[in-house]
Amino acid sequence: MSEPTFEAASKELEQIVERLERGDAGIDELTKLWERGEELYRICAEKLEGVRGKIEELSRTAGES
Amino acid sequence: MKVEATEVDGRKVYTVRAFNKGVATWLNRLPTLWVEGEVTELRRQDRWASVFFTLKDPEDGACLAAQMPRGQFDALQLGLADGERVHVFGRAELYEQRGELRLKVLTIERFGLGAHLAALERLKAALAAEGLFATARKQPLPRFPRLIGLVTGNDAAAKRDVLTHIVQRFPPANVLVAETYVQGPRAAVSIATAIGDLCRRGADVIVLARGGGSFEDLLPFSDERVVRAVASCTVPVVSAVGHEQDTPLCDLAADVRASTPTAAARIVVPDIEELREQLERVRTALHRGAHRASERHAQRLTSAHERLRRAPLLALERKRARLDTLHARLGALSPVATLERGYAIVRGDDGVIRSTEQVEPGDAVSIRVADGSFGATAE
Repeated sequence: MSEPTFEAASKELEQIVERLERGDAGIDELTKLWERGEELYRICAEKLEGVRGKIEELSRTAGES
Repeated sequence: MKVEATEVDGRKVYTVRAFNKGVATWLNRLPTLWVEGEVTELRRQDRWASVFFTLKDPEDGACLAAQMPRGQFDALQLGLADGERVHVFGRAELYEQRGELRLKVLTIERFGLGAHLAALERLKAALAAEGLFATARKQPLPRFPRLIGLVTGNDAAAKRDVLTHIVQRFPPANVLVAETYVQGPRAAVSIATAIGDLCRRGADVIVLARGGGSFEDLLPFSDERVVRAVASCTVPVVSAVGHEQDTPLCDLAADVRASTPTAAARIVVPDIEELREQLERVRTALHRGAHRASERHAQRLTSAHERLRRAPLLALERKRARLDTLHARLGALSPVATLERGYAIVRGDDGVIRSTEQVEPGDAVSIRVADGSFGATAE
């Protein structure tokens, strides 16, 4: 599976938390959910830290053609 | 004035001078009138007797050379710049020396604010009737834009404001900047083209930023071409043009209106600090959720175990209770209680004596009272 976007990851993380808080997950599922949640947290946190965006310029003549 | 022709080999021939003079004379019969256009190529020098400029039709670029005596031009104190729209009062005239048509200008008026406003109102009403400003058309902004398109002037403080605030607020933001003219006659086309270019380059939100300016400066942002480009843009557009009180038409067509370029930055990207806090909150909730869920499982297990452990004892106790009940009922049937109240049981050789018939005087009997027995002799 390719790494999800921040948006997708944080959404999935929230869904997992809701699922856990409902308390209807079985023991095996509980472990899987928790591990997935931790992985999603790591993905989100990495995306927030240290990543710098790019600022590019469209060629200036673009508007004049 | 009569233009004389000479006869050469049987045909009438005019000199250039005479021809020009003839045309000039004919042109002089045309009325003096108002012409509307944009001032371009304005040429004025102190040593010249006249000021020259070209009047250009903003729609299709048709041009008309114009000339005005410098004294009169200076007296108007218009401070005209290239690209300004004006009403010119004058009449057609031929510059005979060069055979060129030009407009001899008597006076110039800046295309009035009132006229602009009226034209703007007409356009606004027409575009509104088409539904271009309808709320139903508004697109929601992406929560995390992948590529932000920024349309702005090249040296504009607006550009710096937006970029600085975007990067401060959300360092991972990617921005593609399209520099355009943001005022003057070329601005509208330039802005509309840039919006399309940014869309094609994959921007998923576009910010239109321009700092404050005069009413005329901001006019390109009310130009029909810009408004249509904003309305038909496939990705959401945030309009941040001028100051709070300005409402260029592109603001109405945009999906979100920002009061200033700085506000646009706040609207278009999330705050990384808030995101971090939110992420930590979700993680805490994850831990708490997982903990609670496993705790619940553990409790269920413990209580099941407890019940299992107590089950045999419980069963035993229940049996003992049943036995006690039986014993009590047995006790109720025993004669001891009756003996204690003072009754006695008398036995003879043949068992319990219930009648006088069963004894003769001298018979030995056994008497049973509550705490024991003793012998006796019947009389």
